[in-house]
Amino acid sequence: MIGKKSILFVFGVIIATFLSCRKDPPVEPGSSSTPTDTTATSPVVFNLDSVPYATLSHYNFFDGPLVDMQPVAGVLPYELITPLFTDYVHKKRYVWMPAGSKASYVSDGTILDFPEGAVLIKHFYYDNVQPSNTRRILETRLMIKKNGAWIFADYVWNDEQTEAYYNLSGSYVPLTWNDDGGQSHDEVYRIPSEAECFTCHKYYDQAIPIGPKPESLNSTIDYVGGAPMNQMAKWEAAGYLQSGYPANIETVAKWDDPNETLDRRVRAYLDINCAHCHSTGRHCDYRPLRFAWNDTTDPVNMGVCVPPDDPINPSQQYIVYAGIKARSMLYYRISSNEEAERMPLMGRTVRHEEAIALIGQWIDAMPDTCQ
Amino acid sequence: MKRILLLAVVISAAWHAHAQGTCATAAPIVLGDYYVSLVNGPEASTPICSTGGGGATAGRWYSYTANVDTFITVTTDLPQNSGIDTRVQVYTGACGSLNCFAGDDDSGSGNLAVTTFHVTIGTTYIIAFDNRWTDSGFSFRIMKTVPAPSINGFSEQFVNTTGYSNCIVDMNNDGLDDVVSVDNTHININYQNAAGGFTNTIYTTTYADYQPSWSMCAGDLDGNGYNDLVYAGSGLTFMLANDDGTGYTELSHPQYIFCQRSNLVDINNDGLLDAFSCHDVAPNVYYLNNGDGTYTWHQGGLGDTPDGGNYGSIWIDYNNDGKLDMFIAKCRGAQSPASIDQLWRNNGDGTFTDVAPEMNLGGYQQSWSSAWGDFDNDGDMDVMIGASSFSGGGHMLMRNDGNTFTNITAGSGYDTFTGTSIEFITRDFNNDGYLDILGGGALMMNNGDMTFTYTNIPAGNGPTGDLNNDGSIDIQNGNSIWINDGNENNWIKIITTGTVSNNNGIGARVEITSAMGTQIRDVRSGDGFRYMSSLTTHFGIGTDDAISNITVRWPSGIVNSFPDPQINSTITVVEDANSNLATAVTSTPVVELSLYPSPATNTLHLRSAQDFLGAHVTITDMSGKEVARPSFFSGSIDVSSLSSGMYLLKVDGASGTFLSKFTKE
Repeated sequence: MIGKKSILFVFGVIIATFLSCRKDPPVEPGSSSTPTDTTATSPVVFNLDSVPYATLSHYNFFDGPLVDMQPVAGVLPYELITPLFTDYVHKKRYVWMPAGSKASYVSDGTILDFPEGAVLIKHFYYDNVQPSNTRRILETRLMIKKNGAWIFADYVWNDEQTEAYYNLSGSYVPLTWNDDGGQSHDEVYRIPSEAECFTCHKYYDQAIPIGPKPESLNSTIDYVGGAPMNQMAKWEAAGYLQSGYPANIETVAKWDDPNETLDRRVRAYLDINCAHCHSTGRHCDYRPLRFAWNDTTDPVNMGVCVPPDDPINPSQQYIVYAGIKARSMLYYRISSNEEAERMPLMGRTVRHEEAIALIGQWIDAMPDTCQ
Repeated sequence: MKRILLLAVVISAAWHAHAQGTCATAAPIVLGDYYVSLVNGPEASTPICSTGGGGATAGRWYSYTANVDTFITVTTDLPQNSGIDTRVQVYTGACGSLNCFAGDDDSGSGNLAVTTFHVTIGTTYIIAFDNRWTDSGFSFRIMKTVPAPSINGFSEQFVNTTGYSNCIVDMNNDGLDDVVSVDNTHININYQNAAGGFTNTIYTTTYADYQPSWSMCAGDLDGNGYNDLVYAGSGLTFMLANDDGTGYTELSHPQYIFCQRSNLVDINNDGLLDAFSCHDVAPNVYYLNNGDGTYTWHQGGLGDTPDGGNYGSIWIDYNNDGKLDMFIAKCRGAQSPASIDQLWRNNGDGTFTDVAPEMNLGGYQQSWSSAWGDFDNDGDMDVMIGASSFSGGGHMLMRNDGNTFTNITAGSGYDTFTGTSIEFITRDFNNDGYLDILGGGALMMNNGDMTFTYTNIPAGNGPTGDLNNDGSIDIQNGNSIWINDGNENNWIKIITTGTVSNNNGIGARVEITSAMGTQIRDVRSGDGFRYMSSLTTHFGIGTDDAISNITVRWPSGIVNSFPDPQINSTITVVEDANSNLATAVTSTPVVELSLYPSPATNTLHLRSAQDFLGAHVTITDMSGKEVARPSFFSGSIDVSSLSSGMYLLKVDGASGTFLSKFTKE
C-alpha cells in the first residue's frame, strides 16, 4: 500500500514539475482560468522533497502580483462557517492537492483525511492599515502533509508586499489599522513560532489542522467565476474529496447569524475558538471542558455549573455560572487580555467584543440552576 | 444631636427614594445610619460578590467615597433589623462593569449582613443591597473599623501595588523582606521599615518587553550586591539593579519562550546565577551568565519533551550529594507523555539525567507545582506533588527513602483533600518545626507524623515572607498582605551570603539543630508556580529554646558552621573559604521587640532579645495621649481596661527605648 502510494506520488510530482515548466511564461493576471476550474491542470510548483520552499512565490499558488491573492487553477478557496477569532485579522483560506489525490471523509467532526502533499494555505491581513490606509498582508501560513505527517511553514511578508519568506521563529509586527467604523486600533500582531503553531495544532505529539472538518465546511459559498456551491460538493467536483460521504452532515452554526439560536451560535464559537485546546489529546486535555461541536450538546462540557479547578479569584464559582456571567470563569477569561488569564491563550491579544456580548447574553439568559 | 442628624438622613433618604434605584443613581453617603424603606429599585446588584447566588430582581444603591485609608464596615446587624434577611455587595469600578470588592449575606446575627473592607482615599465604593431574599425595609450602618479582624490566625493589611504583585524579597539589603510589584515601566517597592510598616517607592524603568504574567524570580544576577528581578512572560526580561539599588536597567532577551515557572539558580556552578525557565510548548530553556553582563541562551538537557508540558521547576538536592537537582511538575493530559513529571539528577559534570522513573516519581498526574521539603525532619527532601486537576490522579505525598520515593498519600490528609491548584508551596507557618503546605485553598498543617490537617485561612497562594519581622511567615495576595498573627513558638531566620558561591547563596543547603532534631532547607529562587518568595531561610523550632548549630553547605562545596546562634533573630551567614566555622557571621537581633497576640484582648505579650527588667512601660493612643502606665512582669502586660482601638506601646529600659503599635480588640 505504501509502495503504491509513493509511486503514485512520484508520478504526481513529475507531472506537476512538467506542467509547471510548460506553464512558462506566466499567464497574465486576469486571463487565467478560473481558480475553481476543475478541469484545468494546476500550475502549482510543488516538490514534496524540497518543500517548504524559502519563498511563498516559489509555489506559484497565486497568479499575478502575490499581493492580489488570486489563486491559480487547483488552488481552491474555502471558508469555515464559523472561523477562529485572531485579533480581528482577515483571513483567506485555500487548499491544494497534488494531481490525482484527494481527501476522504472520516466523520462530521473530524478533520478530513488529506492525501500526501496536500497543502492548506492561509493569508492573514488587515485592511485600512495606517498611515497609508491600505491592505497589509502579514503572513501566509501553510500546513503541508509530508511523509504522512503535517508540517508547518509560515511565510512572513515584506513591507513592500512583494514576497513572503519562510520563517518559523516568530516575530512581532506593530501596526495601526482602522475598522469599518473608522475606529483606530493599535496592535502588536504576533506571527507565531513553530512551537506556538504546534500548541494549538496538535493531537498528542502529532501536528494537525483544525478547520477543515465536514461540519465546518458544509455550507454554500461564492466562487469567483462560478456559481455559488456547497463546499463539500465543490471539493468533490474539483477532485479533492472522495465521493460517498454522508448526505446529512451535522453542521455547525454560523456564530454571527442572528437567525440561529443563541445556544447554537455560542456552541459554534466555542467549538472553533476553544476545542483545539479543550479536547482529548490537546493542550488543555486535563481541564474538564470539552468544547467540540458534538460535545457541547451536554452543557456540562461547556462548564455550566462546573466549579473551576483553579479560580482566578473566589467570586468565580463556576466555569459558567448559569444566569450570572460576571461570576463565570469562562466569561472572565474571554473578557481578559492579560497574558496568563485570557482565553484563548494564543492568537488573541484584544477582546472580541461581539463574542463577549454574545456569550454574556447566553449566560445571563440561562435559568439559575447552579445553586 | 445625633437623633436630629439621623432624622435628617431619614428625610433625605425618603426624598431620594427613587434616586437609589440603580447604580447610576446611587446615593452618596457618609459614615452614619441609614434607613431603606423598601428594596424596590429597578436594578439588582450584579455581579454578586457575596454568597447567595443570583435571583435578585431589585436593588438599592449607595456610594461612599473614602476620605482616608481605613477599614469600613457596612452592617445591617442592628437590633431594629431583627428577623429581616438582607444581603449587601460592595463594588469598585464603573456602573455596568462593576468589580466585586466585598459583600456578605449572612455573617451577622440571624440572616443579617456584615462586611468589612479596606478603603483607599479618593476611591468611590458602590454599596448595593438586593431583594434576593426579601424586599423588606431595614436600617444599615456604615462605620470605620480598626483594624480588620484576625481570621484563623491571619490579619489583613493593605499596601499600594502596581500591576503584577508577584514578589517578596529584600531589595535594599537591610535584612527585611520588601513587597515588589511591577508593570512594563515601573517597579513598585514597599520597603519594610525596621519600626514596622512600609515606605513606598516607585521606580520608572525602560519598557519591559515581557511582563511577569507567568512567573517572577529574583536574585543578584550581576553580583553587584542588590537583587535583580526576572519577568517571565513570552520571554525573559531581566531588571538589573544599579550599584546602590535605586534604579533598574532592563535587559530583554529576543527568544520566544512560553514561560511557566522561572528560577534563578547557578546551573553550571561557576558562582554566577543563571536564569532558567520552563517552556510550556517546547524543551526548557536557560540563560547562562557569562559574568560580563552577557548571557548565553541554551535550550536542551533540562527537560526536552518536544511539546513541553513543563510547568513547575524547582531546584533541590534530593540525594544529599551537595549538587543541585531539579524536579519539574508537568501537565498536559491524562494520556500524554508530556505530563510525566521529571527529576533531573545533577551528575556534577554539567549534565543532568532524568531519574524520575527509577525514583518512583513521574506519572500521568497533572501538576503545575510541587512542594519540596523535609516534612518528617529525617534529613532528606520529601515532596508533595499537588494536582492541578484530578483527571490524571490525585495529590501525591512522596517520602524520600534514599534510593526511592514511597507514596504515603493514603491516610496523610492529602488523599481526602479535594482542593486543586497550580500553586503548592511549603513553609513552617506555625513555627512548630514541621513544614506546612499552602495550596488548593487551604493551609495543610503538618502534624509531625507525615499527616496533615486541613486549615481554612483567608489568604490564597501568593508570595510569602516576613513582612513585619516577627519571625512568622506572612502571605501577600495582590494589594492585601495577610499578616500571620504568630504564636509563642521560637524561630530563626538565616540570610545566606555567598562569596565563592553566588551572592544569595541560592542552592545552599541550610541545616539547624535543636533539641527536636535537625531541620534542613534548600535556598531557592522561585517555588510554587507563579510567585517569588523571600530568599531568607526561615525555621520554626517550636518550644525549643536554643539552636546548637547552623550549618550551611554552599554550592561551592564549602561548609560553614556556626554554633549557638541567638534564636528569634535573623542571622547572616557569610561564606568563608578559610574556616569550617563561619567566622564572618553577624548576628542581628532585628526584632527588638515584638508583641502578640494581635489584636490583644486581656493580655499583651512582649518578646525581645533584650533585657527589660526594670523597664518603664507607657501606652498612648494614636493621638499621643497617655492612657495607661501598666506594670510589666515577665513579658506580659494587662490591657483589659483599654477600650478597642490602636495604641502605641513605649518601653524604656536599660537596653534602650522601643516603640511598637498594637491593637486592642
